Amino acid sequence: MGLAVSIARRAGKRVVSSLPALFGVVIFTFLLMRVLPGDPAIFFASGPNAGQAEIEQIRQQMGLDKPVPQQLLLYLRDIGTGNLGRSMTTGQPVVTDLVSRLPASLELTFVALMLALILALPLGILAALRPNSLIDNIVRMICTLGVCVPTFVSGLLFIFAFYYILGIAPDPTGRIDIFAGQPPTITGFLLIDAAVAGDWDAWRSAARQLILPACTMALFVLAPLARMTRASMLAVLTSDFVRTGEALGLSRRRVVLVYALRNALLPVLTIMGIVFSTMLGANVLVEKVFSWPGVASYALDALLSSDYAPVQGFVLLMATIFVMVNLTVDVLYGLADPRISIE
Amino acid sequence: MKLDRRNLLAGGAALATVPHLGREAFAQTRAETLRQVTGNAVNTLDPTMPGSTREAFGISVNIYDRLVSFGKKQTPAGWVFDPDNIRGELAEKVVTSADGMTFTFHLRRDAKFHDGTPVTAEDVKWSLDRAVSARSLAAAQIQTGSWTKPEQFKIIDQYTVEAKVDKPDRLALPNLCTLYCIIFNSKVVKSHATAADPWGQEWTKTNTAGSGAYILESFRPGEQVILRRNDAWNRSIDGKPAGFRRVICQTIPEAATRASLIEKGDADLSIDLAASDVATLASRGTVKVISTPQFNAFSMIAFNTQAAPFNNKKLRQAVAAALPYGNIFKAALFERGAPLFGANWTDTPPSGIFPQPMPLKQDVALARKLLAEAGFPNGLDTPFAFNVGAAAIAEPMAALIKESLAAINIRVDIQKLPDAQISTMVTEKKLPFFTETSIAWLPSTDYFFRNFFTGNQRWNYSSWDNAEIVALAEKARFEINAAEYEKLCKKMISILAEEVPVLLLWQPNQDAVMPKNVEGYVYGYHRQVDYRDMKRA
Repeated sequence: MGLAVSIARRAGKRVVSSLPALFGVVIFTFLLMRVLPGDPAIFFASGPNAGQAEIEQIRQQMGLDKPVPQQLLLYLRDIGTGNLGRSMTTGQPVVTDLVSRLPASLELTFVALMLALILALPLGILAALRPNSLIDNIVRMICTLGVCVPTFVSGLLFIFAFYYILGIAPDPTGRIDIFAGQPPTITGFLLIDAAVAGDWDAWRSAARQLILPACTMALFVLAPLARMTRASMLAVLTSDFVRTGEALGLSRRRVVLVYALRNALLPVLTIMGIVFSTMLGANVLVEKVFSWPGVASYALDALLSSDYAPVQGFVLLMATIFVMVNLTVDVLYGLADPRISIE
Repeated sequence: MKLDRRNLLAGGAALATVPHLGREAFAQTRAETLRQVTGNAVNTLDPTMPGSTREAFGISVNIYDRLVSFGKKQTPAGWVFDPDNIRGELAEKVVTSADGMTFTFHLRRDAKFHDGTPVTAEDVKWSLDRAVSARSLAAAQIQTGSWTKPEQFKIIDQYTVEAKVDKPDRLALPNLCTLYCIIFNSKVVKSHATAADPWGQEWTKTNTAGSGAYILESFRPGEQVILRRNDAWNRSIDGKPAGFRRVICQTIPEAATRASLIEKGDADLSIDLAASDVATLASRGTVKVISTPQFNAFSMIAFNTQAAPFNNKKLRQAVAAALPYGNIFKAALFERGAPLFGANWTDTPPSGIFPQPMPLKQDVALARKLLAEAGFPNGLDTPFAFNVGAAAIAEPMAALIKESLAAINIRVDIQKLPDAQISTMVTEKKLPFFTETSIAWLPSTDYFFRNFFTGNQRWNYSSWDNAEIVALAEKARFEINAAEYEKLCKKMISILAEEVPVLLLWQPNQDAVMPKNVEGYVYGYHRQVDYRDMKRA
């Protein structure tokens, strides 16, 4: 009980203290977009006979005809009412776009992170148990490879091998086979929605589409996770309580997995939070290569065409997610090590 | 194998009990579906919305009908739209008055909107009023055909509409063929109009109210559009509905992925593959490649004729003589297009057609001489800009330009700019020397000259301001006599050749790649796919 209360108190404080940061992010992105060269009104007024009148019309539509301070105030008011503006690129309200696309990115990121963890933790532990052995060096090589190969290269290689040559992967075009039916939207996470609807064909189709992009991303973040596990395990394995445990005759398995690992997880959790947030934003290349309808590729398209509203909305969303992830990590700290209470 | 898997999936899903709109559709087989993969996305269902993409244009062509449309003709490169052959679409007959100023449209009596209500003169009048009055892309386009106010359109009876222009404009009727002059179901759109939005433009962005060959099934902006055939549609040349029961237009940003989808037979059509992929696919022979030079488009190198240094005609001529056109054509475009350089005429062009090959040839000695005459004995420095989106073609081009101009002591600084930035700089006339590709929907010579070589709008890339051209272009627009028109056009082209405000390079091919059993592709003025012509053999 006491633990739950202290966690809740800590979480509440963190949320409140993150508000100024979010506000700063909003202002900063707003100004940054307006400093960038390129006038969105002119870009979008690209009709065969676009003239000055049409440019003015779009400028007015986007609210760019007003002075910047006034635009900022209007924007803040809109955010307050949950309105993030309208995207010129898709023609939809930004909120609608983000809501429909965020689950795609989250689903991909979660699965990729899970895959990465399933691989990284055992690899890291193995490497730590036998430092500088053959296993350690193999793990080091895998990690280095994963980091060195850019995601779009590994993604394209996967597509080439598994779709084009072997023909065992489905065509890399989005979240579900385009000829299969989409399960009714409940959460937006296709795997969950399909399972809830009991539509196992759709579930299989969605899972098949997910494998290659998730592997591509997992490979990329394998290194920080595995290396951090290894380093932190190494430190813990040489500490007093592990020696005591061994001296007391506890099994090697129990010492490593229960006592050492739990204590070694703290830095891994921190890294996980960072990796997760980075993945959400940085998977733009994976999203592009696999035609994944996620938020990152959405923001990139908007950025290239100087479409202010979606970029601002995306950054705000990312900042919020970052805050939430950090919060979750803090909460998990408390669970992994009850001694810790970050105020 | 693939087909079997799909059929299996389709069968399995049809058995599933979950009710869902998209579900009934995929009981249809893969063979009856056309899957187009494209790099860009459809962002609106109303093509007149400012900012609508070319892909959005393509979808609207298939969902809506117009009064009239362009016919098609066969060329050595395949079927293309024929701007000189206009046929009825919703109009079964068009009567043009002797003075060329009044058009009477007799509507088909059997034409119905997707909701089953008949297409009437009232819908036509409302839709054309909307085109000239609403704040949209349509007004700017169709004023090039002298359509500017609602009073020009008159209801004669339930199935007859009369449209009048003040002067016999050559482009009056062609403008009504364009996809901005679509006919809406006025009752439906009006019911969604508001005081602030009298033309229902908010609603038509994400909803349709048309009478066209395809009915919208689902629209996910930025991802895909799925269309279902309108079996009652009979506005094709042979009066039959479209060939495919279902059309999927899907956005696949990665060009290499689009190419492998086509090659594997998982997708049926792409018109925007990378030039290098097209060459590879064509050489493997597993797919069909239809390469049509875009005869209503042109790529060019433009000079800013209003600012130093390129306001100097001799300097422009010097640059024109210094460039290795053939090498650029080969390195940048893999020769996939029709060249617009290297012609042999000197004073008068052989015809009044535009764009046509211009007398541009590399002659370094002449270039050096002209440069000295221009007053730049020591050469000069200039930036050369292109947009990131066109980098695949423009990058090798820029490298060759830099190399060849270095030979006559012009030092080029290559600038690769994001699309939004370059369009801003082009509109503000801030780029001295750059490359662009542009297109005219209605490829008549006077239209090209009016849009690209006169006025202060973005499309006058070189900011060219030549009083003689302005007068000639305006005269040509209203010239009914064909021989006289030809003479005016030849004159304009020869002035262009002499003044070189831009260097015409080529008309890039539209490479449509499809499996061998897909037929009926026609190159359209909008550079999109008219699904209505397509079928599987």
